[in-house]
Amino acid sequence: MHRKIMTDSKIIIRLKNATIAHPDNVVLTNIDFEVSRGEFVYLIGRTGSGKSSLLKTFYAELPLLRGEGTIAGYDLKKLKTRQVPYLRRNLGIVFQDFQLLTDRSVYENLLFVLKATGWKKKADMHKRITEVLEKVGLGYKEYKMPHELSGGEQQRVVIARALLNNPDLILADEPTGNLDPESSEGLLRLLLEISNNGQAVVFATHDYNLLNKFPARIVECKDSKLIEYNNQPAAMPNEDNPQASDEEIELL
Amino acid sequence: MSKQEHKLSRRKLRSSYFTTIVSIALVLFVVGLMGLLLLNAHKLSRHVKENIGFSVILESNIREVDMIRLQKNLDASRYVKTTEYITKERAAQELQEELGEDFIEFLGYNPLLPSIDVRLFAEYANPDSVAKIEQEILKYEQVKEVAYQKSLIDVVNKNINRISFVLLIFTGALFIISLSLINNTIRLTVYARRFLIKTMQLVGATRRFVRGPFILKSLAHAIYSIALTYLMLGGTVYMIEAQLPELSMLNDLDTLALLFAGVFVVGIGIVYISTRFAVNRYLKLRSSDLYF
Repeated sequence: MHRKIMTDSKIIIRLKNATIAHPDNVVLTNIDFEVSRGEFVYLIGRTGSGKSSLLKTFYAELPLLRGEGTIAGYDLKKLKTRQVPYLRRNLGIVFQDFQLLTDRSVYENLLFVLKATGWKKKADMHKRITEVLEKVGLGYKEYKMPHELSGGEQQRVVIARALLNNPDLILADEPTGNLDPESSEGLLRLLLEISNNGQAVVFATHDYNLLNKFPARIVECKDSKLIEYNNQPAAMPNEDNPQASDEEIELL
Repeated sequence: MSKQEHKLSRRKLRSSYFTTIVSIALVLFVVGLMGLLLLNAHKLSRHVKENIGFSVILESNIREVDMIRLQKNLDASRYVKTTEYITKERAAQELQEELGEDFIEFLGYNPLLPSIDVRLFAEYANPDSVAKIEQEILKYEQVKEVAYQKSLIDVVNKNINRISFVLLIFTGALFIISLSLINNTIRLTVYARRFLIKTMQLVGATRRFVRGPFILKSLAHAIYSIALTYLMLGGTVYMIEAQLPELSMLNDLDTLALLFAGVFVVGIGIVYISTRFAVNRYLKLRSSDLYF
């Protein structure tokens, strides 16, 4: 069935000599990357540097071209199409454009995920939905339609959705891209809290203010490689760094 | 206010489903009309063919018993639909009416022979079979000859074949057009929800789990469409019955039942297959390909 191969249970993401590519161009070559349980990692880099492609590889939307990769116990090289849904149940994914089911309410969005991932009992599902909505501070908005919520609220629904199955790993692809600074900070605090509870978080972002305000491990995608800044504030790119200003120009 | 908005978006969604249901129903109605046409054309050609027949001319001195035995034999054969015995006297009377002259008085005797008029089943009313049947009947010694118009059988058969062929091509083309119209309607409905399909996959739903509700909803719509089609077809049948009672469609409930069952099967079948293919298509696409 969909049994995973167990490796070192402390490591949740492991890439070795991996090459990541779209059908027509190579994005990252020969990279090594590891994330442990409960770790919080910023993934930075210009647009087009491969952040999203890297995350897509993690949730098997993009195949691993070369090298080895293990995510939450699944071997990316041996992953079959029908196993992909089961891999994704071990992940929580947060998108810049939310990706909520726009044709149904917040509650039904969460209910869909629970039903899709094999929950059967109505009472259990109701309890779990209430729990995650409380956790992201939206307990009272469950019967709203997604378009009736603000961007920050929608993103918190997405995080609630990501938390439903208690995943070992949360992948956030520029989740603050559409949010105002206050909502962004609130969101980041929420994700940090989640990682403190033992769930690993990979947080792709453009927002360098957040990096300074909430320091953590930083990995940059640059020139088809991954560069580690391993929590060294001096080496970190910041607003004075030319790299950073490039980013800001792009953002404008 | 938000409740109002909620209602509004629900209503919009419902009206888009309504459009789908009506479009499918209209196309199914065309399919039904074609079916009606084909079934009645078949009936019509049968009717024409079964009116062709031949006369078995008997010897003038035939005994009543032999005649009855011969007629019974003919009735019992698999190709004969009806037989009718025409006596000498009746033949004379019929001819007299046609000529408007009392030729028996003129001639002094009745030169006509008794005969049996035979009507064949439609399946045997073609030149080849008639020739074979003729040979078989001529074996009876009481039979003098078998009279029929060879050219008439030929012409009727040729024309029926030609008309059926044209009709078949015509309805076949319309049928294919109908299928592709329904397929397009469904693909558009699914296309509109392609991002939802992708999102469902990203949160860990299996393909089957995503597909299920789409297919169920499509089948529900198909049933509404079929109900609507039945109403329209029923109305049409009543209208035709009022205008052309000689077709007597309402008397042939079996044919109508066959037609309605056909519409049901076509409707459900094409909707199921189209939905399955359309959803599968978007299940297989990468998210980056969805924007085209």
